[in-house]
Formats: sequence, C-alpha cells, structure tokens
Amino acid sequence: MEKKAFKGLLALSIASLVTLAACGGGNSNDENEATGATDSEHNVNEEPKEEVTLDFMHLWPWGSLDIYNKVVNQIIDEFEEINPHITVELELLENEQYKNKLQVISSSNQLPDVGMTWPAGFMEPYVNGEMFTPLDDILDDGLRDDFVTGTLEAYEMNGNSYALPLELNIAPVFYNQAMFEEYGLEVPETYDDFLHVIDTFVENDIAPIALGNRDRWTGSLWYMYLADRIGGADALNSAIDRSGSFEDERLIEAAEKIQDMVDREAFIRGLNGLSDQEAKSEFMNSNAAMYLIGSWDLPNYTTNEEVSQEFRDNVGFFKFPVVEGGEGDINSWVGGPGVGLFVAENSDVKDEAKEFVKYFVQEWDKISVEEAGVIPGTQVDTSQVDLPDLFIEVLDELNNASDITLFADVQMSPAVAETHLNMIQTLFGGEVSPEDFAKEHEEALSAED
Amino acid sequence: MSQQNSIVGAEKGIRKKITHGFLYILLIIIAAVQILPLVWLFLFSLKDNQEVFNLPPLALPQDPKWGNYVTVWTEGNIGVYFLNSVIVTGSAVLLTVLLASFVTFAITRMNWKLNKLVLGLFMVGLMIPVHSTLIPLFNFYLNIGLMNHPLSIILTYTAFNLPLTIMILLGFYYTIPRELEEAAIMDGCSVHRMFFRIILPVTAPVVATTAIINMIYNWNEFVFVNTFISSDKYKTLTVGIQNFIGQYSADWGAIGSTLVISILPILLAFVVLSNSIVEGITSGSVKG
Amino acid sequence: MNKIMSDKMIIALYTLPALMLILVLIYVPIVLTGYYGLMDWDGIGQMTFIGLENYRVLMTDSMFWRSAYHSLLLAVFSVLSLIIYLAVSVVLSANIRGADIFRKVYLIPMLLSSVAIAQLWMRIYHPSNGVMNRFLMSIGIDNPPLWLSDTNIVLFAIFVPILWQYAGFYIIIYYAALKNIPKELVEAAKIDGATPLQIAYKIKLPLISGIIKVTIVLAVIGSLKYFDLIYVMTDGGPSGASEVMASYMYKLAFRTNDFGYGSAIGFFLLVLILLVTYFIRKLTASKDDNVQY
Repeated sequence: MEKKAFKGLLALSIASLVTLAACGGGNSNDENEATGATDSEHNVNEEPKEEVTLDFMHLWPWGSLDIYNKVVNQIIDEFEEINPHITVELELLENEQYKNKLQVISSSNQLPDVGMTWPAGFMEPYVNGEMFTPLDDILDDGLRDDFVTGTLEAYEMNGNSYALPLELNIAPVFYNQAMFEEYGLEVPETYDDFLHVIDTFVENDIAPIALGNRDRWTGSLWYMYLADRIGGADALNSAIDRSGSFEDERLIEAAEKIQDMVDREAFIRGLNGLSDQEAKSEFMNSNAAMYLIGSWDLPNYTTNEEVSQEFRDNVGFFKFPVVEGGEGDINSWVGGPGVGLFVAENSDVKDEAKEFVKYFVQEWDKISVEEAGVIPGTQVDTSQVDLPDLFIEVLDELNNASDITLFADVQMSPAVAETHLNMIQTLFGGEVSPEDFAKEHEEALSAED
Repeated sequence: MSQQNSIVGAEKGIRKKITHGFLYILLIIIAAVQILPLVWLFLFSLKDNQEVFNLPPLALPQDPKWGNYVTVWTEGNIGVYFLNSVIVTGSAVLLTVLLASFVTFAITRMNWKLNKLVLGLFMVGLMIPVHSTLIPLFNFYLNIGLMNHPLSIILTYTAFNLPLTIMILLGFYYTIPRELEEAAIMDGCSVHRMFFRIILPVTAPVVATTAIINMIYNWNEFVFVNTFISSDKYKTLTVGIQNFIGQYSADWGAIGSTLVISILPILLAFVVLSNSIVEGITSGSVKG
Repeated sequence: MNKIMSDKMIIALYTLPALMLILVLIYVPIVLTGYYGLMDWDGIGQMTFIGLENYRVLMTDSMFWRSAYHSLLLAVFSVLSLIIYLAVSVVLSANIRGADIFRKVYLIPMLLSSVAIAQLWMRIYHPSNGVMNRFLMSIGIDNPPLWLSDTNIVLFAIFVPILWQYAGFYIIIYYAALKNIPKELVEAAKIDGATPLQIAYKIKLPLISGIIKVTIVLAVIGSLKYFDLIYVMTDGGPSGASEVMASYMYKLAFRTNDFGYGSAIGFFLLVLILLVTYFIRKLTASKDDNVQY
C-alpha cells in the first residue's frame, strides 16, 4: 500500500519534471530528448532557421499560490510552437533574490536576453549603464496605444521606452462589511467620517486598520494618500521632481495626520515590527476591519479557494476618503505599474528577444486578468471579461481614475527611497516631528540634484 | 564525634541528591525547549496560510494539510534539489575536512618558518562579509567557465569553511602528544602513513565535530547557490523554498513542508556523526 | 625525526591546495572589495575613481556608527553567552545518565535554517498572538512589550534568537574538547577528593583554554559580520534600531545602488575585525600558551 503511494508520488514528480523540461525549465539537452520528435518534424516542414536559445529570468516561481507562473509557461509554450527554432530557457528567483542577482550579473554584463524590471527609480542605473535596449521600434507599430496612459511612461527615460509593463495596480482600502454592519458604520467618504469609523472600532476594542509597516512601503501608501487628498497629486510629485519642495505645508500636514491616526490607535499594535503578510492575516481573520493594499491582492478576496467563502463575501473596498478643504480628488489613486519586460542591450539574439517580449505582452494582456487575476498594463474591457464583481468594480475604478500617483518608493531614486521608507517607519513610530520628517526628505532629495 | 561526621556526610549526600535532582529538572526543561522548534516546524508544515499566522505556534491545525507535502513533491523540483544538496554538501564537507586536516597537521606538527603566516592567512579568510564577495566571485567563475556548474558552489563552500574548520582543529591538534609521532617515525612510518593511520583516527572526534558544523552550514546556504547557479537542475533544497515565495504572497504551508523534508536527512546525518564524537574518543585513547 | 618532519615537499603538498583555494576565492574578493571601495560605482554602469572619498563619508556617517555599535554589542553578548554554553557542556560531558540524549537534543536547533528560525521567533514575538505576549497577558500584564517594533527593545529581542541559534555550535565544540581530556587526569583528581566543581574549574577549563580562546575569536568575528536573522526578521528596523554593519552594507550595495560605498564598508569591516581579533589575542595570551593562532 505504502509502496504504491510512493510510486504514485514518484510518477507525479517525474511527470512534473517532464513538463518542466518541456517548458524550458531544464537544460537544453534534456529538452532535445523530450521534444526531439516534434523538433525534427518542424524542421522538415519549415525552412530551416538557426536554432536560438532565449534566456528569460523572472520572479514568479511555481509555488501553488502563484497562478502567474502557469500563464507565463503557457505563453512560452505557444511562442515556442509558433517559432520552433527558438527555445526559451527559464531562470526563476524569488523577489529579493531576483533583485540581488540582477545587480550581480549586470556588473559582469551578463543579463539574460529577457528579464523583468521595476519602473523608474529601480530601472535608472540599468538604463544609465546601458544594460537595457530601447523597445520603441516594437511599440511604434500600434502596440503603444494599447497601454493605459501613464503605464508605459513609467519605463521611459531619455525619450526611450525600456520595458513593457505587465501589471498595473491601484491601492483601494479593503474593508470587512460584516464588521462595519455590526457597528452600524457606513463607508466613509470624508476624512472626518473615516475618523468616526476608526474611533468606533477603537471604542469597541477592535483594531481598525491592519498595517504591516516592517515592510515600510505599506505605511508609505497611507502617507501618499493623505498627501494626495490634502495637496492634490501635484504636491508630492513636484516635491519629488524638484519643481517644488518637500517642506510644503501640505506635505507636513499629511505627516501630522498620520501621527494623529497613530495616536487614535487606528492601526494594529506593533505595526512597525509586523510584515505585510502578518498584518494581512489580521485582516483576513477579521481581527482588523480595514486593510489598504494594492489590487494585486484581489484574488485573495475573490477566487482564492483557501480563503473561506464567508470572508470573501464580506470584503468590499472604498476609495480613500477626501480631506475637507484639501485639493485632492476622490478618484485619484496611488498605484502604478509593477514589473515590466526588458530586453538586454548585449543580447546576441536581440531580434528574437524583442519578438518574444512583444508576443508575450500581447498574449499576456488577453489572458492575465481572467487566468491569473493580474491587471495588465493595457486597457481591459470589463464588459468582455468573466470576473468576480469585486474585480470588475476595481477595474472600473481604474478606468475612471482621474490620476494615478506612482508609489513614492518606486518614483524616487533608490537612495532617496531608502530615506523615505526609513522616515515613514520613524513617523509611524512617533519618533520624528512632521517638520523634521519633511526636512529629512528635502535634504535627501536636494542631495541628488 | 564520629556521629557528627556521619550526619555531615548524610547532609552532604542529601544536598548532593537535591542538586542532582535540580540539575536534572533543569536539563529536562532545556531539552523540552530545544525540541519544541521541531514540533513547531512539523505543525507549521500542516497548516495553511491563515492558520500559520493565526493559530498559536503549537496548536494543531483543524484539519492537517497533508496536501502541502503533495504540493511540494509534485509542483516543486524537490527530488532533484534534494540530490543536489546531498552531492554538494557531501563533497564540500569531505573536501573541507580533508584539506583542513592536512593544513592543520602541517602547521602544528611539521617544522617550517612560515607556518604562523599561513595560519594568519587562513584566519583573515573568516573576516570578509559574504556579500562583498558576490560580484568578484561571479566574475571569477564566469571567466574560468564554471558559472552555472556545481563545482562553483562546492569550491566556494570549501574555501569559506576552511578557516573555521582549521581553527577548530587547531586547538585539538596541539593536545596530541608528540610521543605518538615520534614512536611512529621510529618505526619507519612515512609522514603520509602517519597522517592517515595515526593522526586522522586520533582526531576523529573533532573531525566529526567539524563535519557536522560544515554540513549544517552548507546544507542551509543559499546566497551562493542563487548567484552562481541558474539552471534548475543544479539548484539545491534551500532554493526550492523560494519556489513558494511569490511576488506579493507566499505559500507558507509548502515552505514548512520543504523545511521539514530538508531537515530530515541532516538530522539523520547529525545523529550518526555525533555518535562518533564519543566513539572516536574511546578508540583514540586506547591507541594513545 | 626532525628531518622527516621538515620535508618541504610534504609541507607544500599538505598546505598548497587549501592555500590556493582561499587565495583565489577569498583573497581576490578582498582585494577587489578594497578596490571597489575607492570607486563611485552603482554596481552596474561605469566606475569613477574617487580615492578615499567613501572613507571620508564613512567617518561622519552616523547610521554606520550606530550599526557598528549594535554589532559590537552583539559581540559582547555573544562572548558572555559562551559562559552558559561552557557550563552546559561541562554538565553534558560529565558521566550523568542520559547525557548522550541530552546532548543530541540540545543541538537540534542548530540544524534549523535561518529561514525557519526567523519564522519561529516572529511567531514568538508577535505583538498580540505571539507566545511571549500571550503568556505575559495571561499572568496579568496588560501592555506587554512590542518586541520587534519598540525601538528600545528590538535590538535585544533579536539578540536572543541569534545567541540561541549558535548555542549548538559552541556546545558541540566544547563538548568534543571536554571529551578529549584524558580520563586519567579526572580520575586522579577524584581520588584526591576534588569536588565536581573543582574538577571542572581547576582541571578541565585550563586544559581546554586553547579552544575557549578560539571560540571567543569565532564569536567576535561572527558577531561583527552577522547578517542573517536581522535581515529576515527586522530588516534593520524599525528606523535602523536593529541595523548592524553587515545589513547596512548590504542595503547600500544592493538596494540603494551605492556599491562603491558598500564595498568601502565591507573593507572597513574587515580591518575592524582584524584589529579587534588582534586585541583579543593580546588580552587572552598567556605565557604557557601553546596554541599559536
């Protein structure tokens, strides 16, 4: 009996190995063995082209939560079928390790032919070091218009586009409808309403907001929204692009409001020592009523079978409330593109690589929302896709957005971002005055000029 | 007088028993604390993401997710990683312990002028932070064509563990009585023969100790593997864990299962090797 | 005898392979780190030579000195903790019943990878449902400490798992050393009427003093370049309250693209460790010292 089970497992794992090899996970020799038959057939039927191998490095491993990986492999399979002379070889790394390795291999100019990059500040040293190749030639035959305004621009430098966006996110405030109902609360539209919601939960010994600020960019979202609602999209953006100053009254006021919220115990205890994942679980176990996070988390509240149906039915979202007297618009969002595909400047198969990224984004845009729950960088027609309601609502908001302010830590250069993120943690910890908070930012930003 | 003595003696005995009892209780409590992490890890591997964060660490999950293990075995490439871990760890440990024994023997038992300098060179090798070496080493392996080759990690592990291993061996080599070699050489034994037949067996306990330490370090290492290895077929178990860490979320249950699977062989090897710490001593003292 | 033991060929044969390995794989990176430290380099594009500018910045970088202080503090605690490990090893190496099982069990946590240890201790320190605070609340402490988010506590909170992580490492070394002591010496002392405490103090400790000195050096070096758990559990935060030299260096080199400056810190760290090690050797040196490390 046991033996049988073991054999079954073994068979399964072998099967997965074979699939992997076929997907380009293994080395090229293995692939030739596994797909040798089909290869030769193709060679007979089509004019012989030189065999090329494309190295593709990405950060979506096949852990079971990540449906992304399957979609990626599906697209690669199709691409290899259309282009039998091209073999795509994959290397997968987890987020942090991916960033780490990208830098190490760049130092020796050994980037893979195709890889993933984040926009703006992250990308800058790679573009300056001439590691990425401009992709304008493949964008110019119509592809450019497919993207939502602002997404492609995040990957632009010196008038060239260096990557094709794969995801676009905005950050709504998710909330637990059952908990709101229990205390007779309504979705807040103004900041005062919002404070009322917070105070009501606090009075009833419930943590209003789950926030894991060990990761720091999570706290940055809160600050960015307040800055936006008080000063409009312009206040923060002009401080960062140096047409304005960070010691702007409106930006200081936003910091004051953060500390006011902390003093009201709006956030869970020990937020600066908690990771985003830990904080999220407080929300998902109904220990906290609200949670501000990117729309990438939508599958958790809609399709993820591991989460109880009851909880998923209870989750709604609202737009960050407006501050009375502020310049912000309720339809303005914090968000932006996540990773995009780049082609390496020194790739010896640049043409094929470009062909691949073009094919990839086009296919990705067709299937990513429905198959993987990823919002692509291109316009999604919500009447055409089959998605849970919550998803559709967020997509509609995205289409109606008056403005999307790019995540501050992405917008800034890595060095300034590090200062910003550190100051965010210090601000939430109540260890810096709002004035000094602004001053530190201003110093870091002006040091870059 | 004699009565008083015996009372004192009895008191002493009682006090001794009490201290012993107290000591035992303390030892048992510490032992319990030390074994809890394994229990925790096992329970962790049977939970889903919600339970991992919200149940108390030692609480049983409502319905154990044995499926985590199935996920790990079927979706991850774990069989391959496992084999690679064994090969890489095994070769690096053997190489390190052997080379370190050679060096320590030469430094402590043989007569030459530069021995202190060479020892100093090895010690400085302990002091460089790992992350400073990544870019230079990447460049090096790229140039000699060992990039994405298991040899690159075996050599790196060996080099980085040599200093530590030599330092631990050193203290023990100094305690070996000189008479041992003198007698051997009188008998016409060559240096090589003496090293393999006398010195290595006598130092078996400490060799086992350093082997355990090396094994644990190599088995759990992942920065070098990530940097030098790109093909899935050469990656090791620590990298396998990353397969369950997504861009925005992670599959903690599967990570737990991978951790459990990866700790079993090392636990086994540890028990076997740590027995030889004692056995080696007895056989060594017989010869000595 | 002396002739055979001075054979240059054999010495070369025994030392050169290992020496070659560390020269190529450790010394070349050390030299290159020193070289990068003189550059303005993001690790990706062009390098510019800036001389000692990075070191000048380093001297006034308060964040670095703060992290250096944290690292030194860790080194002090690591050395102090050796006393406990030594005591445990002395007990375990005595012929008490079940010593063998105790020894094995005590070393188990050492087998866990840093990933597992970090996860475990994050569960222990969780502010509301962590083991620690649940216990404190159950005995009536309403506002238990926020272990990983209170900037006054976090450093010490994170020292605990670090020290615990290495307990097995030192215990196993001490244990092997204690077992290496000839039984006759201990037996003779027993016959002379020495108590177990006296035997440990007067006979065993002096005999293993060489290895104790080695472990002190190892603890200091290991602490000064410590990275793992800090990186996973707190990432040096909140607000740098648990930053150590190696984590600070990592951030500069790999997150903020200041690879040149990060390398300067790496090189400085090496020199600092070298100096500290030298002082420890001076401090612990004794006349009858036969261990020349």
